[in-house]
Amino acid sequence: MFTKSGMQNKKQNEKFCNRLAFTVLILIAAMVMLPIYWIFRSSLMGSLDIFIWPPKFLPMGTINPSEWNWSNYTIRSANFVFLRNLMNSFAISVPCVIFGTATAISCAYAFARLNFTGKRFLFSLCIGSMLLPTMVTLIPLYMAWTYLGFVDSYWPLILPYLCGGGAFNIFLLRQFIRTIPRDLDEAAKIDGAGYWQILFNIIIPSIRPAIIVISLLIFITTWNDLLQQMIYIHSADKYTLVLGLTAFFGNFKADFAGMFAATVLTFTPGLIIYLVCQRYFIEGIVMTGMKN
Amino acid sequence: MAGKKKKKSLMEKKEQRAAYVFLIPAFLGLSLITYIPLLAAMAIGFTDLRTGHFVRNRVLPPPRFVGFDNFVEIFTNPTIDFLNSIGVTVYYALFAVISSVFYSFFIAILLNRKIPGRAILRAIFYLPYILPAAAVMISWHFLLRYEGGLINYFLVNLGFERSHFLSASETVIPSLVMIAVWQCGNLIVIFLAGLQNVPRVYLEAAEIDGANFLKRFRHITVPCMTPIIFFNMLMSLVVSLQVVVPALSVTRGGPGKSSMFMTFLMYHVGFREGDLGKGSAISFIFFILAAILAAILFMTSKSWIFYEEGED
Amino acid sequence: MKIKKILALILTAVMLMSIVTACGSSSDYNCKCDVIQLEFSIWGDESERESTQGALDVFNAMQSDIFVSLVQIPNEQYGERLRTLQTANNMPDCGMIDERTAIGWTREGLIKKIDIYEGQPSRPFAGITFSDGGQPIGYSIGSEVLALWFNRDMFDAAGVPYPPTTLDTAWQWDEFIEVAKLLTLDANGNNLNSPNFDATSIVQYGVYVNQWAWQLEVWALSNGGRWYSEDGTRAVFDDAAIEAMQKVYDLHLVHGVAPFNPAQTDDGWWDSVGAGNVAMCTEGQWATGFTMFSDINYGVGVLPYMKQQANITAGGPVGVFADTKHPEAAATFLRWYSDPESNWAPILDGWVMPNTTDWFTEEAKLTRWIDEVPNRARLDARAFRTAVADVALHPGTVPTGWYYTPGTDQIDRVLIPALVEAANGSKTVKEVIESVRPALEAAVSGN
Repeated sequence: MFTKSGMQNKKQNEKFCNRLAFTVLILIAAMVMLPIYWIFRSSLMGSLDIFIWPPKFLPMGTINPSEWNWSNYTIRSANFVFLRNLMNSFAISVPCVIFGTATAISCAYAFARLNFTGKRFLFSLCIGSMLLPTMVTLIPLYMAWTYLGFVDSYWPLILPYLCGGGAFNIFLLRQFIRTIPRDLDEAAKIDGAGYWQILFNIIIPSIRPAIIVISLLIFITTWNDLLQQMIYIHSADKYTLVLGLTAFFGNFKADFAGMFAATVLTFTPGLIIYLVCQRYFIEGIVMTGMKN
Repeated sequence: MAGKKKKKSLMEKKEQRAAYVFLIPAFLGLSLITYIPLLAAMAIGFTDLRTGHFVRNRVLPPPRFVGFDNFVEIFTNPTIDFLNSIGVTVYYALFAVISSVFYSFFIAILLNRKIPGRAILRAIFYLPYILPAAAVMISWHFLLRYEGGLINYFLVNLGFERSHFLSASETVIPSLVMIAVWQCGNLIVIFLAGLQNVPRVYLEAAEIDGANFLKRFRHITVPCMTPIIFFNMLMSLVVSLQVVVPALSVTRGGPGKSSMFMTFLMYHVGFREGDLGKGSAISFIFFILAAILAAILFMTSKSWIFYEEGED
Repeated sequence: MKIKKILALILTAVMLMSIVTACGSSSDYNCKCDVIQLEFSIWGDESERESTQGALDVFNAMQSDIFVSLVQIPNEQYGERLRTLQTANNMPDCGMIDERTAIGWTREGLIKKIDIYEGQPSRPFAGITFSDGGQPIGYSIGSEVLALWFNRDMFDAAGVPYPPTTLDTAWQWDEFIEVAKLLTLDANGNNLNSPNFDATSIVQYGVYVNQWAWQLEVWALSNGGRWYSEDGTRAVFDDAAIEAMQKVYDLHLVHGVAPFNPAQTDDGWWDSVGAGNVAMCTEGQWATGFTMFSDINYGVGVLPYMKQQANITAGGPVGVFADTKHPEAAATFLRWYSDPESNWAPILDGWVMPNTTDWFTEEAKLTRWIDEVPNRARLDARAFRTAVADVALHPGTVPTGWYYTPGTDQIDRVLIPALVEAANGSKTVKEVIESVRPALEAAVSGN
């Protein structure tokens, strides 16, 4: 059935497919990068140069022909405000990621694997809460946090992540846990493992890609959550990077180039974390299938 | 027999107790952060409450119930025109969900192959998702300008007509969907993580049986991915229904009323004009609408989602 | 494994730091309890924050009864943010007010209905006084009028004389279009009147009339129409007003002398004369401040007119918010802050003009804020005096709608998205206005 030439044929076929995939991806990637390149290009220009028609593809201004305007970066990255805002952003996102991921795993495990009274009801409540726009509960929550005296602190932004880390994340992890064959934990159960042991020794290693994905999602969501930060954070020394982005729009003028430079600085930490994480969730896991 | 049964129920009890311990955070979150505030918001929808009322009363003023007045008004008041918003939002959401799920699944499958530089390529496709949304809209606004926008510059040089993109009623939603698709890096990442969980033994077995790529894709990859596809559709649906940033930062609901999304309308009425009663009424109806759409998705899902064990 | 360990270390460190930051920042006020503490809110960017803080420092140092601290709120969300602060009982004592909400907020009770110049010998002139039913309720801290800005080099290159700088020599609308045609050039340098003109390769347009919604009111007045009734109780938008707006959009749609301008964002000056794309544009006096961002050789002239000379005044006001316990102290501070002598930076940078009549009539004072301010002198101080300063007190110059009409913020929110369809030609201005008329009327009379 499997002649040598058949195998070779298959390999060639595979190679061709990979090459085709590569070409298609490069083309789409170029289009995807265009707006990001545009942010970067604009961040190196003077604010007026951004408006020139036809647009300049390279960041060289004609109005302020000061070659590449790196000063948009050097001014901002070296300055105390930027570093302070950076630390503040971390001060919100890091606890959210840690607590959010941990609580989401435990809830997702219960929903995916354990039987208990009221499971369906609770799970529908959980799903229902995903459909709730943040804005709906904004006013009552704002009033409650104010009543508790937590306004102008990070608690209103962090505490919700202690409570299940968001229904989306619970649901995503549950979907992943359900793709793991049940025989694995049944076997462990027969060997006398408790629920915590099953969770730590079988479930968590098997869904590591998903765990890293939700940590990333929580990180990015909390990092970029302009609306809530704007509502809860008042004093300038507690400002975060995204809040800092709003400071480029003045009463009369808007410093678009400065805002774009700050945008690049704002998303860089997220990008670095993504790059570090990516090998874990993409190359990390083959065992689920192997063990089956 | 009896002893065994008793033992089993003991096990069940133990399991139940464990489950509740695991679920404490979710209980707290669902009640304190979600449902109690939701009930409060709903109640506000039936009252006449404006932010101005807080001035004289320091704390929450005694509620003045107005029955369904707010609900009637949001449908009849021409300045609010809620029906238009529902139509616009649903149109955008369905368009965006279908496009982004197809696009991200397609990209994820290509990215899952052994190709050179895939780490960098994966990062590129994820990058749009981590950009701050408001800055992204401003950048797209520059790119899509009729005069001096790069995309129109390309179109003209390639011999096409210029398009108004964000500044014409017919093109604004497709343009915003394009931006949403561009930004759906999170869906790609979830698909990629899901593709890692497709049991390799199945694929290898099928390969040995002589199934070609398309067959393997159709009969193994897709069925194994259905829970993830479903998740991504749901997530994309909820996010798209809540779309607000494009309207806030560029279109202001226009041209005309063609991008007056529900959440934007709610923000507008509730926060800018300070009418919390009507704002809450809008969000309450929004919630019901979202629940209906999600319920439809859940109902259809039963027929096409494939779980390892065919339970619930 | 190594990377993992390092990552874990970094995460732990960051987390520890964040907990320290999150918990340790229960800021304790350095309470000087014998002085009245006031909070003053502004929107604006970093440089505006710095210059405002500079003014506050002077005020805090020169007297010992009142201490004013600054609250900076992002520009776009100013109104929403104040509302949330107020809901939480954290509203500042006084601050800048979005001019479009001034009357509505006063009626709603968010702004105290007091005249901060009550019993004072001098006060800002009538054109920049907010009034509700004839009673003054607020004052702009600086004044603005609209003007025509142009690129001198483009006029020189086309051999066209500069725009007129006095009201009595102002262009009539059709003359204005004719001049704009001479300044609309294709890639080969042909102007719109040339038989070889190639409309597909336009590199320079003649004119860009700012279509940011509220600025369009000036054309309605110029054409003998009105947006609002004089007592501020109705939205009028009569035929003359509609015709005037159509004339503005026709610059692009019919005459081809203006670029397409959806006016979805407020960046008209930057997109036109500022970046060197267009020869002339209309914009407020604050464009003087923009001129410092490039080396383009700008000039200033008077607006063209349709049937009669018209201009509108504008300017951001300050006010006392309703929750304050110290309205008198706030009024004292605001009077000081509104005085050009104590708050000179915005005038020096070119952003605003002074707010009292004497600055426009006394020669010594005129010299101080025009000839001695580089941003204005660069535009030609003589031209600036006749084309801008003299216009501010001219009888044809009337207050913009928001000085006497409530709901102009809602009008903006309806008009800005709606008028895009008139700008792109898919509807006429008449169709657009008729379709939103109920909303416009509700915005004004509903308040």
